[in-house]
Amino acid sequence: MNIIQQIINGLSLGSVYALIAVGYSLVYSILLFSNFAHGGFLVIGGYICYYALISYGAGIWAASFAAVLGAGFSAILVERFAYRPIRERTPVTLYLLIASMGMSIVIENLFVVTIGGRFRALPPVLPMQPVSVFGFATTSAFDILSLVVSIVSLVALQLFLNRTKWGLAIRAASYNLRTASLMGVNVNRLIAIVFFVAGLFAAVGGIFLSARYTLYPQLGSTITTKAFVAAVIGGLGSLPGAIAGSLILGLAEMLTAGFVSSQFRDLVVFFLLIVTLIIRPSGLFGKAVSEKV
Amino acid sequence: MEAVLSVRNLSVRYGAIQALRGIDLDVFRGEIVSVIGANGAGKTTMMNAIMGDIPRAGGEILLNGKPLPDKSFRVACEKISISPEGRRVFAPLTVYENLQMGAFPLKDKKEIAEQLKEIYRLFPRLEERKKQYAGTLSGGEQQMLAIGRALMQKPEVLLLDEPSLGLAPIIISEIFKELKIINKELGTTILIVEQNAKKALQLSDRAYVLQTGKVIIEGKSSELLKNEEIQAAYLGVK
Repeated sequence: MNIIQQIINGLSLGSVYALIAVGYSLVYSILLFSNFAHGGFLVIGGYICYYALISYGAGIWAASFAAVLGAGFSAILVERFAYRPIRERTPVTLYLLIASMGMSIVIENLFVVTIGGRFRALPPVLPMQPVSVFGFATTSAFDILSLVVSIVSLVALQLFLNRTKWGLAIRAASYNLRTASLMGVNVNRLIAIVFFVAGLFAAVGGIFLSARYTLYPQLGSTITTKAFVAAVIGGLGSLPGAIAGSLILGLAEMLTAGFVSSQFRDLVVFFLLIVTLIIRPSGLFGKAVSEKV
Repeated sequence: MEAVLSVRNLSVRYGAIQALRGIDLDVFRGEIVSVIGANGAGKTTMMNAIMGDIPRAGGEILLNGKPLPDKSFRVACEKISISPEGRRVFAPLTVYENLQMGAFPLKDKKEIAEQLKEIYRLFPRLEERKKQYAGTLSGGEQQMLAIGRALMQKPEVLLLDEPSLGLAPIIISEIFKELKIINKELGTTILIVEQNAKKALQLSDRAYVLQTGKVIIEGKSSELLKNEEIQAAYLGVK
């Protein structure tokens, strides 16, 4: 049980949290509410992947592709039918928050009602064999894979936000949605894109989490709580913050599990949250640039 | 002569309060038209209603004889744009990125690059600071950025809402000089709303005076500058 191994595992878990936290943070940065149904997208992705593998005998690539797209489109639908009617009637984001709690329950129970609440394990399609890291430590191929996929996804997101027209519009809108609209940005389309991206990333995270643990309808809410904690530690609405917060969380969990006890890992997570809120409530990367009048 | 921008019987309500009560206004091609009036007269409300930033209760707005849509992003895709009240630059984006946002309705990359060059020519200060975050600019520079951003989409009509707000007199003069150049060189028609009535009247060809949501006087700016009633009410002359 050496420390390098635990650090790699921690980063790997943290990077998967990051996939979920960035989508969550992205939605927060535009609409200023915590989307508690975000975990639902992850579960939708997980189940699509599971059934594509089990019932249709699809390969892992095809199954993941279907899962990711399915979750992306589900996210658009949730926004379109649960949030947009509220957003168009009132600027009060509290109603969106409440609607998202409702949607979280709806998605969870749709799965419970239709396919049951039991725990399911993905078939062994992802590599799990032990891998030696330059002779220093042993970790699993799965940890390396999830770390690599997460990094590639996050870099892709960064490129999208920094190099494309809609990426720029999203960054502008996260500062001021109404002014972005005055520039000719179709705000409803922009929000749909943001939810689609959030859904994609949640599904990638969902596939890795269902392979690491097991898949069940409540997996989403457990993980959303973690993503929420990660986003708060990093600074709500900040993407670098969400990533940093997630890595800190992943490391804290794995180091606690490795050197103290697995039972303490959630205790450490919430302890970190409380410490952040006391010492630096705006989080590590809380909004730095303020408007000059 | 056909008006580029026509406002017909425009009214706006905020709940029970009627902020605009049937405004009629015409702006002809190549003109600079100013709208002056006291605080709360409805100047900004009128601008926001033209851009679709707030819903209108009644009336019509025509651009080149065609009715403007009522959603702001659709209006912004027409040949009309605004430098809004309080400038509303995107503080966490760079100057360059702010200008790119202004070009959002344009598709042609070459056209955007050319327009960017044009804006940098008009406001060399923006080119010097193109990599700086907009939030770190001075008030005057932010105003230049807001104007440059609005010009990026090559509007026929440029709306300016209180460009002098909170700026030092010397900066105000600089910006108003630039507006004259934009009007002359780019041929952009300008509708400007100002509390600084004297500056606005000196800049514009024609003017409208707004009071509690209605146009009470309209005419040539040079004549309004001499009008005793206006001098007493808005120009601080006894």
